Amino acid sequence: MPSENSLAPTKRSAVASVLGEERRARLGAHLFTLAFLGAWWGYSLTVPPFVLPGPVPVAIRLAQFFTTYNLYKQAFASLEHIVAGMAVSLIVGSALALAAHYLPVLRLAVHGRLSPFLNSFSGIGWTLLSIVWFGVNEFTVVFAISVVLTPFAIINIREGLETLDRELLEMAMSFTRNRWREFGKIVLPGLMPFVFATLRISFGVSWKVALAAELFGGRTGLGYLFNLAQQNFDVRLILVVIFVIIAFVYGTDRLLFAPLQARFGRLEASASP
Amino acid sequence: MTARRVAERMIADGLVVAAILGWWLLSLRLPDFLMPSPWQVATTLFGLFVTPSLLADTAASAARVIASVALSTVIGGVLAIVPYRWPVTDAIIRDRITPFLNSFPSVGWAILAMIWFGTTDAAVIFVEVAILTPFCLVNILEGLKSLDQELIEMGASFTRDRARRFMKIVFPMLLPYLMSAIRIAYGVAWKIALVAELFGVSSGLGYLMLKAEIVSDAASVYGTCFAIVLLFLAGEKLVIDPLSRLVAYK
Repeated sequence: MPSENSLAPTKRSAVASVLGEERRARLGAHLFTLAFLGAWWGYSLTVPPFVLPGPVPVAIRLAQFFTTYNLYKQAFASLEHIVAGMAVSLIVGSALALAAHYLPVLRLAVHGRLSPFLNSFSGIGWTLLSIVWFGVNEFTVVFAISVVLTPFAIINIREGLETLDRELLEMAMSFTRNRWREFGKIVLPGLMPFVFATLRISFGVSWKVALAAELFGGRTGLGYLFNLAQQNFDVRLILVVIFVIIAFVYGTDRLLFAPLQARFGRLEASASP
Repeated sequence: MTARRVAERMIADGLVVAAILGWWLLSLRLPDFLMPSPWQVATTLFGLFVTPSLLADTAASAARVIASVALSTVIGGVLAIVPYRWPVTDAIIRDRITPFLNSFPSVGWAILAMIWFGTTDAAVIFVEVAILTPFCLVNILEGLKSLDQELIEMGASFTRDRARRFMKIVFPMLLPYLMSAIRIAYGVAWKIALVAELFGVSSGLGYLMLKAEIVSDAASVYGTCFAIVLLFLAGEKLVIDPLSRLVAYK
């Protein structure tokens, strides 16, 4: 007698092919989105608009958002802060991980002291401290983002350095004694997938940190818009900013980082055999 | 080998001592509101765990963190089980709910919660749960994906009772993933506890920190930051580590 488990797949495959099932799942996801919007709309009718505006007013505000110069400027400012913070943290984090790798005496200092310390301090803590130190300005925002992201870079680059192919390194040694050349030709290409992983993780984290940092310590950026919207109880603007961020973070991850990482990952894979 | 180990230790601990020394020297030249001395900060840090009124704030934050980690593990677990039981819902969880929760800015939750729930404990816990749930969800989804299918099939040959199969086979295999979900959520929880508490509530470490920031009491801002690091470490060493050892031995 066939068990319930072994019967189920055959029954299902008789009714619908694998493709059909996938299509059904996708349809389910779209229906879920519609149901979510419907529930939002329905609930927004029962509460005043300053608590939760409906999807339509938010969509209208969103359209305005994309036609207002000032809002573009703020979004661009946030992007600037994030790119600067990511660049600084990648450089500092890689430098520290490389130092610990090539000078093993520093290993405990970097991985046992500095990295856990940076990792356990909260982003808001860094933001408030840097406001005290540097005042409310762009530097504060970039500083806070960089400090929060640095441990991610240290951990990822360390991971990359530890998984470098020993045999490839030995081969390089037999070709050249120039360590710089070895670094440029073997180590750096081997690290690329990890650099991209770092960037991808940092990007997702940095938006959240950037918003918090701009909210408390900035005069520009989407976080600053949050601050204004919160003071005016403009929930529509808050939802619009949240929506823009979700769309941008998700879109960039899917359309930029996923293909880039897949490409560099494949390059790495095809280079190793 | 041992000589190098000693050198490694000396550099690592020397770095900590040098950092504190450098901080102290800097604090001599800079005014207190910019750079308080290490001793001042140590005193305020001590106060956070001793002075009853401050201890109440510390305890409030800790209670919220524990409650939200527990709640978000349960919610993440339920959300992860749904596509396991009904594969049709896979796309809903994986392509809709997970990325939505994952890219939702934490400050956004904090402001919305303040508007929706006012300045209450529930608002803070809502914010923390909203931020932690995706971490738990992703981990438990991963766990369910990598379960040993052969064991599950074996279970199916013993009983048709789904609930029994789940409790006897799936759940024990899932425990390590559940544990790592709790570990990650716990780590994130302390960091975002401050964000959640900065808006509106009048208790907790986040509230203390914002109050200190407004009156430029840098020693208290530093103290709260260190208190969070200490609490995080204590919880991890005293609760999370023993728990995961217990799970691993089973």
